[in-house]
Amino acid sequence: MKKIQGILGFIVGIILSAVFGGCHSVDNWNNDYYGNFDALWTIIDEHYCFLEYKDIDWVETGKRYRSLIDPEADEKEFFKVCSAMLDELKDGHTNLISWFDVSYYRKWWSDYPQDFDLRLIQEKYLGFDYLSSGGMIAKLMEEENVGYIYYSSFAAGFGESFLDNAFLSMKDSDGLIIDIRDNGGGDLTNVEKLVGRFINEKILAGYIQHKTGPGHNDFSEPYPFHYEPNLLHVRWLKPIVILSNRSTFSAANNFVSIMKQLPYVTVIGATTGGGSGMPFSSELPNGWSVRFSGSPVFDSEKKLTEYGIAPDYPVTNDDYETDTILETAIKYLNFLASENKQEPQE
Amino acid sequence: MKDILAGIMLILATGVSMAQNDVAPIRPVLSAYTIEAGSSHVVDTYLSPLHYSGWHMALGYDRMQAMKYDPEHWVQQLIGRLSFGATKNPVRSATRWQAMIDVNWGMQRRFSLSQGLKVFVGGSSGIEAGAYYNSSNSNNPVAAKSAWTINAIGGLIYNTSFKQVPICLQYRIEYPLTGIFFSQQYDELYYEIFLGNHSGLVHWAWPGNFSRLNNYLAADFRFSGLTVRLGYRLRVFSSKVNNIVTRDISHMAIVGFTTEWLSFGTKKRDLSKAKIIRALY
Repeated sequence: MKKIQGILGFIVGIILSAVFGGCHSVDNWNNDYYGNFDALWTIIDEHYCFLEYKDIDWVETGKRYRSLIDPEADEKEFFKVCSAMLDELKDGHTNLISWFDVSYYRKWWSDYPQDFDLRLIQEKYLGFDYLSSGGMIAKLMEEENVGYIYYSSFAAGFGESFLDNAFLSMKDSDGLIIDIRDNGGGDLTNVEKLVGRFINEKILAGYIQHKTGPGHNDFSEPYPFHYEPNLLHVRWLKPIVILSNRSTFSAANNFVSIMKQLPYVTVIGATTGGGSGMPFSSELPNGWSVRFSGSPVFDSEKKLTEYGIAPDYPVTNDDYETDTILETAIKYLNFLASENKQEPQE
Repeated sequence: MKDILAGIMLILATGVSMAQNDVAPIRPVLSAYTIEAGSSHVVDTYLSPLHYSGWHMALGYDRMQAMKYDPEHWVQQLIGRLSFGATKNPVRSATRWQAMIDVNWGMQRRFSLSQGLKVFVGGSSGIEAGAYYNSSNSNNPVAAKSAWTINAIGGLIYNTSFKQVPICLQYRIEYPLTGIFFSQQYDELYYEIFLGNHSGLVHWAWPGNFSRLNNYLAADFRFSGLTVRLGYRLRVFSSKVNNIVTRDISHMAIVGFTTEWLSFGTKKRDLSKAKIIRALY
């Protein structure tokens, strides 16, 4: 009998300890303007990865914008207050998404010249005659004896056979221009896929880090990641010039940071737009989504490129009828080729 | 010498006679096939700080058999379950899909309290694997869930009848005591895990960081030729690791049927004198 009582007591004990001790607490916010604002502020406070790097006093920022909330105002006015607070992060990867609008901090490119006109290139330099696949166009510029590839977005894939064919058509040229101006980024897997065409051995591509807790300095150790050469397809190991502008952002910025370490790669144009934090998502009680930088990516020297990567040769376009950046790249590759031809033979 | 030989023959004959009368008991297998339907309430702070709620369903298989070792007192049980569902955030603007498979095997000692009432207590071990998926998230849309646990299990069984229909009422609970489970780190993207960073992903489970109380209440109505099972499940799950909290509470109605079956094997046995020891009824 005592044994049975003990067993029953054990079962009751499990139930009670599970009910009272097993449920871990979770923050709750009200679905009103102040509740949604506090949720947004807390999400950024606990998850945004650049508060310390950018030296942002998030407590002061929160207090300043919270005082601007008008509980009687339309939700579109409330959206503007929240958006303005997020703009303080100066981060193109940070958006507040509502049913009627998406906030977007654009000064990282809008305060600078565009330095790129795709129509000008297609018409004046390519003659509307080029190969295309996915997000890429390619052409051997025969008169200049330079290969040209434009990649519009790392969110779009490209065909491996397409690139093989393009490289083979350009194999006798002085070099290759990879134009990623106005490339706003996309999938890092496409960055790895493209870099693999330009290397002959495994390289350290960079480091990735993540937050381990809600504190502003709660980070993991940066984890190194490597890229392998693509041994199944044609690889290009001749001189390369990458063209960049302020709209070269996120994954495209990451591509520049990796390629720039290669000795046969030169970057010409403008400082890239940066964007080295991989976005994370969350949401507010009213259903609005928020996207923000949550996981920093470093270059191979463990430097953050959040504010962009400076080119080897800064060049801007002088007018709307000439692509000075492209023409500089062509002259540079022709110059390198002539230098190589003049080197005395041993 | 003749007396010694006679004595040895007598002993041997007695032994053979006793072997022929000692027949192993029959231990029928009880198999239950069930469908569950109900509601689920989930919060997973890796995906969202909001509480999601919606529908949940499951397919279950439950196999019980008295053990060969000590069939009067010990029962083994194998439980398999496939569950899936969809929940939405409070304003119904985002959807979270979930799916989970779990398999448990355990042994229970039964004690008879009184006519028809029994208590079961024992242990089990099992694995579960699944995921939550928030379709509206960008780089953190999935939270994978998997665990291997050693559990305490217990239950009450009461066999009775109503209007000549035998009814078996059962209440079972299961609670993990220890084990290991997977969790990504606080804001770790699965892309970083894909790149090869596997540190900090496997955790020691104990009631303070991994709590899962499975309550199961059912009634088996044993009509001639068919046994119908009706029941209710309350599953309360809560974990906190790597500063990530997951809570999943589901209420499920259960309906199914059970069968009892025997495996005769290839040996010929005289079962007319064998005792039948059932796992549940």
